[in-house]
Amino acid sequence: MKKSLFTFALSLMWITLAFAADPAYENAMKKQISAMKTIQTVEESQAVTNGFIRIAEAKPEEWLPLYYAAYLQTVAAFRFEVDKDQYFDQAMELVTKADKIAPNNSEITALKGYVIMGKLSVDPMSRGQEMSPLAMQTFGKAIALDKENPRATTLMAQMELGMAQFFGSGPEKACGLARVGLELFAKEEAEIDENYLLPTWGKREADQIAAQCK
Amino acid sequence: MNSRILLFTFFLLNQTLAFGQTVISGKVFDEKGMPLPGANVFIKGSFDGTSSDVLGAFEFQSTETGDQLLVVRMMGYKSQDLPIHLSQSKLEIPDINLVEEFNEMNTVTISAGAMEASDEKKSVILRPLDIVTTPSAMGDIVGAFQTLPGTSTVGNDGRLFVRGGDASEVGIYIDGMRVGNAYGTTAGNVPTRTRFNPNLFKGTFFSTGGYSAEYGQALSSALALNTKDLAVRSQGDLSIMSVGGGYAHTLANEKRSISISGNIFDLKPYQNLIKQDFDWERAPYGLDLEVAAQHKLNNGGLIKVLARTETGGMKLWQPLPGIEGKGILVDLTNNYSYAQTNWRKAYDNGWTLFGGYSFSHNKDFISYDDLDIERKNNLSHIKFSAIKDFSDRISSKTGVEYFIHDYSETLVEEDLDRSFGEREAYLFTEWDWYLSKKFVLRGGLRAGHSQLSEEQWLDPRASLAYKLSDSGTLSLATGRFHQLPVDNFRVLNPELKNSASNHLILNYLYQNEGITFRAETFYKSYDNLVTFEGLPQFPQNLRNEGKGFAKGFDVFFRDQKTFKNTDYWVTYSYVDSKRSYNQFETQVQPDFAPKHNFSVVVKHFIVPLKSQLGASYSFNDGYTFTDPNLPGEMNSKTTAYQNLSISWSYLPKPNLIIHAAVTNVFGNENIFGYAFAQNPNEQGKFESLPIGQPAPRFLFLGIFLTLSKDKNANQLNNL
Repeated sequence: MKKSLFTFALSLMWITLAFAADPAYENAMKKQISAMKTIQTVEESQAVTNGFIRIAEAKPEEWLPLYYAAYLQTVAAFRFEVDKDQYFDQAMELVTKADKIAPNNSEITALKGYVIMGKLSVDPMSRGQEMSPLAMQTFGKAIALDKENPRATTLMAQMELGMAQFFGSGPEKACGLARVGLELFAKEEAEIDENYLLPTWGKREADQIAAQCK
Repeated sequence: MNSRILLFTFFLLNQTLAFGQTVISGKVFDEKGMPLPGANVFIKGSFDGTSSDVLGAFEFQSTETGDQLLVVRMMGYKSQDLPIHLSQSKLEIPDINLVEEFNEMNTVTISAGAMEASDEKKSVILRPLDIVTTPSAMGDIVGAFQTLPGTSTVGNDGRLFVRGGDASEVGIYIDGMRVGNAYGTTAGNVPTRTRFNPNLFKGTFFSTGGYSAEYGQALSSALALNTKDLAVRSQGDLSIMSVGGGYAHTLANEKRSISISGNIFDLKPYQNLIKQDFDWERAPYGLDLEVAAQHKLNNGGLIKVLARTETGGMKLWQPLPGIEGKGILVDLTNNYSYAQTNWRKAYDNGWTLFGGYSFSHNKDFISYDDLDIERKNNLSHIKFSAIKDFSDRISSKTGVEYFIHDYSETLVEEDLDRSFGEREAYLFTEWDWYLSKKFVLRGGLRAGHSQLSEEQWLDPRASLAYKLSDSGTLSLATGRFHQLPVDNFRVLNPELKNSASNHLILNYLYQNEGITFRAETFYKSYDNLVTFEGLPQFPQNLRNEGKGFAKGFDVFFRDQKTFKNTDYWVTYSYVDSKRSYNQFETQVQPDFAPKHNFSVVVKHFIVPLKSQLGASYSFNDGYTFTDPNLPGEMNSKTTAYQNLSISWSYLPKPNLIIHAAVTNVFGNENIFGYAFAQNPNEQGKFESLPIGQPAPRFLFLGIFLTLSKDKNANQLNNL
């Protein structure tokens, strides 16, 4: 009797611990994701990036914290006055780690393309030749892995727009992609609730491209 | 009983989880004691942690207990793992000092004698794209380097001449492997080009002296070309040019890529349209086939293969001074093959290993008047090297090399031949020591052995660099360099020893957001140069008795910032060089070393026209020559050399490029020297003929089309 009670208590403890691990992760992620939305300075960006890296250190089997850390580094490089190459290189390092955990993931692949696009933007004249096909190819792969991924489509649209501007051709292709992207964002929005941890960013970028199509 | 204890432990554990919180606080500084904001501080294996604030301070709560690791991490700094013990409610960590990590981006680079063309690294002077878009270069790698400091243009030769050195003093390497006969074989006074297409390479390292112990057998300069890694996509490239055409096909996936290309060039149709100053019987022509393959191994290594085979020739009349008529008929055919493979792998423990093998085969058949000569040259190079990063401050590179070199010359009709076989072995080691981020010392040693000349030698090399400011660097390089004489001398006297040179170079480099300024001054001594008696065509009594020097300075200024969509660079090189060599009994200024060398390259992109316009202008003050009608050696100088070239690249569609270029727009009559009759005429005067250009101008028109699923692909690198 005593023994079975103990077994019960023990199994209860295990269950509690097993379940307890995930809420802790989820809560930590939610905290950083909500902090991410209010970033105004490079310092704040660094603090949230650090938060994601801490989660990634504690949960080495999760790709999402690495993904967010890489995303923040990429955005910071575009947005703030920093050593852009250094930030993009670190973002690439984090993306590569995430890719090892979850190979052939459309979100990770799209972000990888975003980082390549960032590296390209630092010195387009000399890096364009090598990197623009690489970025295109990576976005293409991200779309092929998940046709419903609005970020893959939007980033491809951004790349197409840049190419169209460089070669002075029309933005039709970019506009078409941006439109598809916006439809996918609408679809995605329906699924988002307070427990949604997966990436949701990119609608603003799609809107910006679409705005140039009128 | 047991269960009771366990239950008790379980509750105790729960209590700890609820109440055993520790507040951990501290401060993070750099080496100099300045606060480091944004450092990531956390307990390893937990979610507990924070970032340091503006003052470097951090404070966070942790529910962990017992022995833990506190990790302090920051980009650009070495991470620290501090063992801590959590038992009380408060834990103050003593001040943490993070040490900055040395990497390529934040440390000083030795720039004495070095000019790098690369997309990746800092301290680059040119980008690979700059090479193909320099108008006077006509797509030749060496042509673009002739607009850089320390070089002089020798228009009737076409090869690279560095700081008063002969063209044979430049060693050319592909992926660290020596290339034999890197230039196309040509008849006297017909300029040549490098055999290799610039689009094979992702980066170029060009040294004007004081270079690494990794390279040897080059008294003046090392030109190291690095081939591209994996191709990014499958595509076909078609080119149609006024001088020929070609097609290249690339197949690529994430693991491997292969590119096969075939080209044909023939100047005949062009020469039929445009009048030439040379008397061509058969215009230069050529055919080549090239394969480049890259393979990524599963363990992270990379294997590259490059193979090229080509055949070509030309036939022309070379006039003789003082003699009426067409002169002498020179008929030349050349067969050349080059193959190399190399393997490289970087290991996690700081070792990088490299192994390579290259083979060059060159066969010339020359008919000079009624003399038929066959010339064969085979060169094999085997090399292993290992790089070890002991820390971010000390690294070394050590390697061993072996050369098998066989050369022969045959007089076909007379059935006479002469040849030599040479085996050379080398050992080199080079150490980099970063005393601080601003100061680096490099020391190297290269030991060589030649079987043929029965010689052993040791070349010490040293350099250092000091960062004066964020943008300015001062570097100094010195070293000893040995080179065995050229093949056609060694075959006459296999006992010829190495020639030697000592270099001393002081360099200042300023680089800041689109502005590059580079100034360099140098002194170079020459010893044991080959001298002989008689005419250069028939040298006799060859021996190592020549000596000389070269000294001077050069300045380089490049500006990509001031004018929108415009990039220009200006170069001036002053060389004062004298040497006793070849048939010269006294120390003279060589004909390949003009004193004042000046060049400007301007490129401007016009967005609405989708075009890049380019112009390059070169000037030097003329070439020395010996006028036998006057006393002394090298007693005269030609008029100044000038060349203005322009080019226009038009990109109507992303995958189509139309490129047009004209050299020597103003048709300046450049003279590179004079050929004199061997005997005086009736008036007792040696008659002469000027050595000039094949034609006043050269016109080029090409259409480059890329066929690929990706419609934006183009051939910008193939121009």
